[in-house]
Amino acid sequence: MENLGIDGKLLLAQVINFVLFFILVKKFVVKPFTAFLNQERKNEEEKNKLLEKLKKSEEASLEAEVKAKEKMKKEFDVLFVQAKKEAQSLRTDLVKQAETDAQEIRDKSKKLLEEEKNALYRDVKDKIVKTSLMIVDKALKESLDEASRKQVTGYIIKNYQGKLKVYEN
Amino acid sequence: MKINPKLKDELKKILIDKLQKEQDLVVVYCADSLESDEKQVLEKKFPDLNWTNAVYKIDRSVIAGVVIKVGSKTIDLSLSGSLLKLSNTLYEID
Repeated sequence: MENLGIDGKLLLAQVINFVLFFILVKKFVVKPFTAFLNQERKNEEEKNKLLEKLKKSEEASLEAEVKAKEKMKKEFDVLFVQAKKEAQSLRTDLVKQAETDAQEIRDKSKKLLEEEKNALYRDVKDKIVKTSLMIVDKALKESLDEASRKQVTGYIIKNYQGKLKVYEN
Repeated sequence: MKINPKLKDELKKILIDKLQKEQDLVVVYCADSLESDEKQVLEKKFPDLNWTNAVYKIDRSVIAGVVIKVGSKTIDLSLSGSLLKLSNTLYEID
């Protein structure tokens, strides 16, 4: 061994030194580091799990939100249709009411016009009758002399048949 | 104030008689005075009336013909009456 240049004692010391180094490193470096790594891995896994949970929760909340939005939209649509129907009904009622009012106004105006027309007709008729009678009365008074009046009087008396109305005062 | 019942009765009787006479009184309104023959014809036409105390009055508004008034009754045989009837008829026509 010596011819090969290998010192047995040194080799043993180095082997011992290596074993000691290995034991020390294994005990004080590798174990805590492994434990630290395991811990970190666990933490990472927990974080991932938490993230997954959060993601799921977020997805669920998003889904719920979408569902709520859809529900809201449906409700809104229903309400909108209902409101539209009510507005249509209200519009129809208002139009009907307006038509009724307009018809009433038309009827009233027509009635008023008819009354005014009748009043005017009566007035004109009254004036015509009065004027005509006044003219006839005056013409008779002026045209009939005493002889004519007596003749007329005699004629009326002679031709009286007893059919005349008797007026009670 | 007390009124003597006898006096009251007499007064009542007088008033009733007067009223009766007024009610039976025939008043004839005409435009011109009537001739006696016309009066006779009139009496013949209305024999129910009491013509003994008939009064004849001139009224130019009659125009021609006669209007006979007996109490509250009126018999209109005048031209003015005919005109009035005509006006009433015209008013009745629509």
